[in-house]
Amino acid sequence: MVKPLEGVRIADFTVHNAGPFCTHMLSQLGAECIKVESAQRPDIFRKPHPVYGRMGPATFDQVASNKLSVRINFKHPQGIALAKRLVAISDVAAESFRPGVLTRLGLGYEALRAVKSDIILLAVSSSGQSGPDSHFAGYAPLFGAWGGLGALTGYADGPPVEMRHVMDHTVGMNAAVAVLAALHRRRATGLGCLVDVAAREVSSSLLGEALLLAAAGQAVTRTGNEHPRMAPHGVYKAAGDDRWVSIAVETDVEWQRLASIMGTPGLAGDPRFATQAARHENRVALDDIVAVWTATLPGAVVEAMLQEAGIAAHESWTAREITADAHLRERNAIVNVREPDGRVRAAVGVPVRLSKGGDIGIARGTPKLGEHEEYVYGELLGMSTAERQELQDDQVIF
Amino acid sequence: MPDAANTPLSDLRVVVRASGVAAAYAGRLLGTMGAEMILLEPPAGSQLRWEPPFIAGTDVSALFAYHTAGMRSLVWDGRDTAILSEADIFIDDTPVAGRAAMGIDDAAIARMHPNLIHVSVLPFGASGPKAGWKGTEINLQHASGEGNLLPNGLSVEMFPERPPVKIYGHFAALQGGIAAALGALAAVWARPGTGGQYVDISCQDAALAVGAFAIQRYGDGAVEHRVERSFRYGGVLPCADGYVELLTLEQRQWTALVELLGRPDWALDPALSDALERSRRGPAINAHIRAWAKQRLVADIVAKGQAAGVPLAEYATPAQVLHDPHERERGLFSPVMIADGLVLDMLAAPFRFGAAPLQLRGGPPQLGTYDPARETA
Repeated sequence: MVKPLEGVRIADFTVHNAGPFCTHMLSQLGAECIKVESAQRPDIFRKPHPVYGRMGPATFDQVASNKLSVRINFKHPQGIALAKRLVAISDVAAESFRPGVLTRLGLGYEALRAVKSDIILLAVSSSGQSGPDSHFAGYAPLFGAWGGLGALTGYADGPPVEMRHVMDHTVGMNAAVAVLAALHRRRATGLGCLVDVAAREVSSSLLGEALLLAAAGQAVTRTGNEHPRMAPHGVYKAAGDDRWVSIAVETDVEWQRLASIMGTPGLAGDPRFATQAARHENRVALDDIVAVWTATLPGAVVEAMLQEAGIAAHESWTAREITADAHLRERNAIVNVREPDGRVRAAVGVPVRLSKGGDIGIARGTPKLGEHEEYVYGELLGMSTAERQELQDDQVIF
Repeated sequence: MPDAANTPLSDLRVVVRASGVAAAYAGRLLGTMGAEMILLEPPAGSQLRWEPPFIAGTDVSALFAYHTAGMRSLVWDGRDTAILSEADIFIDDTPVAGRAAMGIDDAAIARMHPNLIHVSVLPFGASGPKAGWKGTEINLQHASGEGNLLPNGLSVEMFPERPPVKIYGHFAALQGGIAAALGALAAVWARPGTGGQYVDISCQDAALAVGAFAIQRYGDGAVEHRVERSFRYGGVLPCADGYVELLTLEQRQWTALVELLGRPDWALDPALSDALERSRRGPAINAHIRAWAKQRLVADIVAKGQAAGVPLAEYATPAQVLHDPHERERGLFSPVMIADGLVLDMLAAPFRFGAAPLQLRGGPPQLGTYDPARETA
């Protein structure tokens, strides 16, 4: 059984997180993804960033896994020609530079179409390929801010909250969906296209109902962990240092079960909490009562008791609990990856299970810069050893 | 109506049975790319119709309206799956235990509709030891890691003792929907060779995937924490009239920031030309930057900063996003009929094929307005 995207090839010029996560997901589904960097300008996420307060690289290992690595020096005219040769044997080219940069390099959509008439060019940017802000630089927290998700996230009496890598990766997932749609269209029509993914618009797409309320003239503000209907609904202190458990009670029946489990005298019959509307009205008092109970028990115990009773609850997990979870392991949502140095680390798999999907997932760890040039330049592009050596000597493959 | 030239899925028909956001959003994504969408609803309507928030002056759920825009509604109460015979993709969030009675378990679907892509979307997936678990949005965010890691930055600095705070709205469910669209289209791509197949999507898996960073950090030997992952400097900056986000990752961006700040003495300290030293002195740098920002207007800071190459963004409210000149020019929003006499702008899609934006086919459907008999007549 073959992987679903077996035979699809991607020339991957993306850097940082959002674009690379897209091509990483597609590679887990079977696409052959060739990551292009240069020694002079490696993907900056290969490097540490002290502003994060740590010296290890960011998510490079995760998003570079499964990819093939080659070097191309875009500052050399022959580097541009080499990139075009790579695109000419690819189905998809992917980039995440600021709009206009690729065109200035001579690798814009029209230039790529000239070498591969049905090429699909994925362009991931902060604000899209058009519009007055298209030149804006951005990272995940900025996408979250522009798009509205940051302003709506946070305590009601506090500031907005910055979105982190989940924002980048959500952009990447959307981009992967769009690329597959473009491939589908190409199969039907023979036409390639430019796929324009704007990260700030992905942020906005996650609050579509709030934008609709705004269109109706209604104000929408931060509400912390509150739900417009459910109560109790929140994150409650559990036993232990910085341990928490999330609980959401959807119905009156569930509330009666929870009150019974808590065993607090008089709670089940307390008229303040008798109906969903009453509980919501009195949610602050109710949260205090629930938190007194949860604080006496480990979060995992609360979770088990409530799930047994058909109530939505889950301990607040860190990576430690996630990587050890049998359910996530069985689903290949968490997999082990072996790095070239023999080190084994946990990584996330592609969040899709296919009954006929073959062995989708991560087959290889992080590639070294230029690790796969013999295969890509030698086998795929048919370059002789002498030709490759010449390009290296001329600092084209560099 | 959508422009066929830039709607890549206009040859696909998708049937959705959705009581929640995840399955509906998967359908919405495919529909905005041109697929014909049919929403199967029980006689009383999908649960999403009753989920707040509601649009003022109507009985229309904004959540339902956004997630089902452009779909047609068919009242369907199980067993007869003829509606699936013409479909390419069937997306379903019925709990596994309830499927066989309706004739829509994976074995029955595979037998009756061998070329159909059958996509299951559930909080914890359709297989594995927790397949039957209940999970609402807040539980999913905490089951997948990001819930424990928020807030960070200024918010956790102000409220270190409070419980973690969730991402607004239905973030984890939406990830499930996006993953479902991804799985569906991967299966459609493979269909000429493999025929139909069963796609099992878990919102927990999907939300975890986008939280990959914390898993990698754990492999590096560190458990991420919401306090420690705050940026050493920059982040959320309160201004005179709102908030901005500042993040400088590259040396040239720091240099540009110093210029934007007006080259104050503290920033000209030669030691701060070193990124590591800036990291060490992060809190002190932030005190200066915050004092500077507090005296200034958001629009002014962002315009000057972006012009100078400093990554700065406004924390936009929904109303600001809606009226943003950039998004107006790009055509992110389409007017759709919400209810009799009420037309509102709605976000169409966060990507496009070519220069033209994707368009919505229409607003939310009235219950049962799709009549298959009339369609085939």
